[in-house]
Amino acid sequence: MTAALTITNYGLDYATAAGAVAVLRDISLEIAPGEVLGLVGESGSGKSSLAWALMRHLPANAREVSGALRLGDVDLQALGPKQLSTLRGRRIGMVFQDPSTALNPTLTIGRQITEALMRHRELNARAARDLAVELLGHVDLRNPAAILRRYPHEISGGEKQRVIIATAFGCRPDVILFDEPTTALDVITGARIIELFARLRAETGVAALYISHDLGMMTRVADRVAVIRHGRVVEQAKAFEIFRRPQHDYTRSLIAAVPRPERRLVHDRPGEAVLLEARGIDVHYGRAGLFHAAPPPATKAVDIDIRAGEIVGLVGESGSGKSSVARALTGLARFDGAIRFDGRTLHGAGDMSPAYRRDVQIVFQHPDSSLNPRHRIGEILSRPLKLYGGDVASVPRLLEQVRLPASYATRWPHQLSGGEKQRVAIARAFAARPRLVICDEITAPLDVSVQAQIIALLLRLRAETGAAYLFITHDLNLIRQIAHRIVVMRQGQLVDSRAVDAFGAEDVHPYTSELMAASPVPVS
Amino acid sequence: MTELLGRMIRKPQGAIGIVLLVVLGAICLLGPWLAPYGPEKMDFLGRFRAPGWQNLFGADQFGRDVLSRLLSGARATVPMALTATLAGSAMGAVIGVASAYLGGKTDELIMRTNDAVMAIPGLLMALLLVSTLGNGAGNAVVAIAIAFAPGMARVTRSVALAVRNQDFVKAAVARGEGAAQIILREMLPNVMGPIVIEATIRVSFAVMLFATLSFLGLGAQPPASEWGLMVADARQYMHRAPWILIAPSAAIALSAIAFNLVGDALRDALNPRDDR
Repeated sequence: MTAALTITNYGLDYATAAGAVAVLRDISLEIAPGEVLGLVGESGSGKSSLAWALMRHLPANAREVSGALRLGDVDLQALGPKQLSTLRGRRIGMVFQDPSTALNPTLTIGRQITEALMRHRELNARAARDLAVELLGHVDLRNPAAILRRYPHEISGGEKQRVIIATAFGCRPDVILFDEPTTALDVITGARIIELFARLRAETGVAALYISHDLGMMTRVADRVAVIRHGRVVEQAKAFEIFRRPQHDYTRSLIAAVPRPERRLVHDRPGEAVLLEARGIDVHYGRAGLFHAAPPPATKAVDIDIRAGEIVGLVGESGSGKSSVARALTGLARFDGAIRFDGRTLHGAGDMSPAYRRDVQIVFQHPDSSLNPRHRIGEILSRPLKLYGGDVASVPRLLEQVRLPASYATRWPHQLSGGEKQRVAIARAFAARPRLVICDEITAPLDVSVQAQIIALLLRLRAETGAAYLFITHDLNLIRQIAHRIVVMRQGQLVDSRAVDAFGAEDVHPYTSELMAASPVPVS
Repeated sequence: MTELLGRMIRKPQGAIGIVLLVVLGAICLLGPWLAPYGPEKMDFLGRFRAPGWQNLFGADQFGRDVLSRLLSGARATVPMALTATLAGSAMGAVIGVASAYLGGKTDELIMRTNDAVMAIPGLLMALLLVSTLGNGAGNAVVAIAIAFAPGMARVTRSVALAVRNQDFVKAAVARGEGAAQIILREMLPNVMGPIVIEATIRVSFAVMLFATLSFLGLGAQPPASEWGLMVADARQYMHRAPWILIAPSAAIALSAIAFNLVGDALRDALNPRDDR
């Protein structure tokens, strides 16, 4: 039996001004019909380049240096543009990472599905529409006929991803490439997409290449897993095998970096004194205009207490209002309610004194945008020192504190990697000697191994300075490793708040247990 | 500074632009000494003399040497246009960034006032200001600067709105930085690219605006050899002696191209991301 997809000894370079950069080297993979191969690697490992090479949609500076790509008995590299357009979608489908950009915002959902079906299944418009309704119903979308008439912005991210999956499966391809299909989605939505994938796969017997950075998820979706690093496959094994008996050091380090709730990283108890006490926080965006009422508040009467030196986890899906709480506490958003800090009560951003601003620091999710691209690292770090009174000469010490060489002070932000930039952002927050640091999803854009280093750094800084953390995240496994107390938010409301050791208890809020069920617990 | 210059001349366009600009600068400084004749020296026998060995670029209706007039006229034209553009751009950029940063009602107030000013055509605005302030080169500079500011403010604001939403601005707000610090230090450097390009294009407009003001008798007065004025004067002899028109027009075009090329090179060099 011929394999559904064969990659033999494949090599790929990108030609840049500084010479050729090797992206993929000696890649040999084989996917049998009906098999799902997981491809795991960190950012920059070349996994997405491989997907684009298979789709024959490489950038103009890509140079294929060796090897062969075969889909069944077809040599993909030998195909011309015309043959490719009949093959793409029809025999090899693709599901993208971000469903919000994968659909054309100016066309209805119906147009986009039926177009693919009419082209690849040679149906007329009526038959294509009927099939589209059936397919959408099959991916558990309620009221498919209504969805066909809508535009992409009128349905949620999870629904969009279902539409894309329905389209990909509807053309009955031999192989589907999944490029991180759940990364841009919420935990619960992502978990449902994975359930859907497992069901459709069992029904259709399609072969798939499933690309992800999340090793923990692989055991749920893939039969076999290949680990890729710097463009080379370092290990390939059955999904369960690779977790139980990883052979390669890199695989071992990846597995060790996957957060596991049972492995606690924090063992002390927080202080008793309450540092910050927020009561009835309603965050407002936008005001009432002449002809429209003010939009409803992003959070409704949220109460949060943070004790000195405590790590509080704030968990929820995107849009649950957790970042709005962070913005209220740092004076970036208008809010009703009161914040008590250090014996003073604040009712708005105007009440925040320089002392409060100094004591409460925030670290943002995206280090790319939180560091001014036109300032050197030294200048970025010296701002809080100048503002709050400190010696500008201590910039090297700040860099050393976050384990970066002092020579980085003269660099530009874009010359640093994502993890290094996040370290600089952390150093900037700690330059103020804060008592509370708000971490807004700071590990979300980072790779697992980098994430583990950042967490270790935060815990060490806490041990040195005694700062408390409000750690906002959607990764329940991670927060259960480090938090003393976890607060769960949903649709702007606080639904659950409990100490971390009481998290497995029976009386948790149903939404909390749903979140826990959706967080992939790695097999061990 | 030398590092910036090195980055600018790496591409041929940047190198050409800088060479043109250096030549222009030299002419502005040394023009009268380089000129073969005095700019106002008439030669009755040489009226409308075609370009040749006696007059390299020909002679005009009074037999004055066109090349000499161009060389000595550069300092009446280029530095003035440059000053007006710089002042107008700086004013507009700060207004635009401030408007984007402050947001809400203040933004509305600033931008609607801005729109109202923009509704008056630049030339009319300049005319109005010059006639209020009185004739003279200095007042013309002020008038052109004010006429340029609203357009610049609009361009800057649209870029600054995107920058306003970046986390580093939020970080500065959360840190408790003052408005001036955020506008000038955090946001302004990040909107420099479009400002520089817009400003360099406007230098050529400024040259033309000066010419128009001179033509209407509000800027440089007739015997002067301001380039725009030369174009205006030469119009009526266009068919008889085209060189009188072509030489100053080409000078204006070349200086505009020089500023555009340098502007592009500057944008690339100022962006640290292009550091390959």
